[in-house]
Amino acid sequence: MKSALTDACTLRLNNFEGPFDLLFYLIEKNKIDIYDIPIFEITEQYMEYLSAMQEMDLEIASEFLVMAATLLHIKSSMLLPKREETATEELDPREELVLKLVTYKKYKEFSQILREREAYWEKAHYKLPEAIPVIQQEDELEVSPLILRQCMVDVLNRSRERMNDVSKKMQRILDHEKVSLRTKIREILGMLAKGVRFCFSKVFSPLTRSRLEIATGFLALLEIVKIGKAEVEQPVAFGDIYVTPKKPDK
Amino acid sequence: MNTINDTEMIIEAVLFAAGDPVPLDKLAEIIEQDKKTTRGILTNMQYKYQHSSRGIMLRELDGAWQLCTKPELNAYIARLGPVRKKQGLTPAAYETLAIIAYNQPVTKAYIEQIRGVNSDSVIMKLMERNLIREAGRDDAPGRPKLYETTEEFLRVFGFSSLKDLPPLEMNEIPEVVEKMPFD
Repeated sequence: MKSALTDACTLRLNNFEGPFDLLFYLIEKNKIDIYDIPIFEITEQYMEYLSAMQEMDLEIASEFLVMAATLLHIKSSMLLPKREETATEELDPREELVLKLVTYKKYKEFSQILREREAYWEKAHYKLPEAIPVIQQEDELEVSPLILRQCMVDVLNRSRERMNDVSKKMQRILDHEKVSLRTKIREILGMLAKGVRFCFSKVFSPLTRSRLEIATGFLALLEIVKIGKAEVEQPVAFGDIYVTPKKPDK
Repeated sequence: MNTINDTEMIIEAVLFAAGDPVPLDKLAEIIEQDKKTTRGILTNMQYKYQHSSRGIMLRELDGAWQLCTKPELNAYIARLGPVRKKQGLTPAAYETLAIIAYNQPVTKAYIEQIRGVNSDSVIMKLMERNLIREAGRDDAPGRPKLYETTEEFLRVFGFSSLKDLPPLEMNEIPEVVEKMPFD
């Protein structure tokens, strides 16, 4: 069963911010004086909304249920016959709720003002700050230049001690020689490719080559002989070594 | 650089270059005047901007001053190109903001007491939008966090200071009831 009210409220259900909001809607809709709420009718309508929510399978926030309980509580206490002796002092059970509602209403009204002001002021545009390179101001320090100079000298002295300066003891810088067996093998093979016999000591002469180069060259030559690409002969012990290219065996 | 006009010229240039709001103290320092005089000059400038054919206006934001375009001219500015509209706040956010604005610094419990609903997420939203900020903690049990509005709040809603908020006519209400019947 769906009442007209149920239909009407389906449109708005999600829009209520809370129980106060819903109560207000009901009060305004029924044109009720907020200070004299007909609690019976309001409670009834409020409950109708809650059941409409249930019908729609909406999860009802606990706050709405608490308000329902409050309304029912007020309703029941108004039904109770007043006790004679306290009748004059007894508060209207609605009073507390009314106070809350009125307070809430004030803020609700102001939130409407906020909305309007925002709509107006969002039309104003601001400029981003210029990227002016402002130098960060630092606290000025008053120090005599002489003290500053002494500090600098001290710093330099200290760092000199720490550095363990050996530059004066140094006479020459040795260059690290890079000689590899592979490059020497390639060099000798290159000469053999010309097909001419040559003398080892002429090519690897102590006058033009370093000791390391000559030693490596000799190792390279031994390697080449081993793979059968050259033949060597040394007529005299400690004499010249003659290198002859060797044709690959057929 | 002694006449009023020179001073106004300087302030205009400084505010234009600064973009952000410039505190009154800083402006006074720049034009070498006391704060009261500087304030007078600024108020005078504000009036002149408003009542002459200028496209910009002077705004006061919590004791700082800033130039901006007059809102009435927005339609023309929009012709520069499509303007992306900022996502609006929810009714809950406005409501909460209203409560914070008038009661700051205020606890979440106080806000919820007036609104009657949980306000965690709406407070988060307002913090994200930089409309409110934390303002220390209350002395009450549990030392709950306090919230207050920001300079951005003043800017967005066109207030020059919190004193500028319209009076909330609460006369007929004695006091917010401390104890909720359904607590």
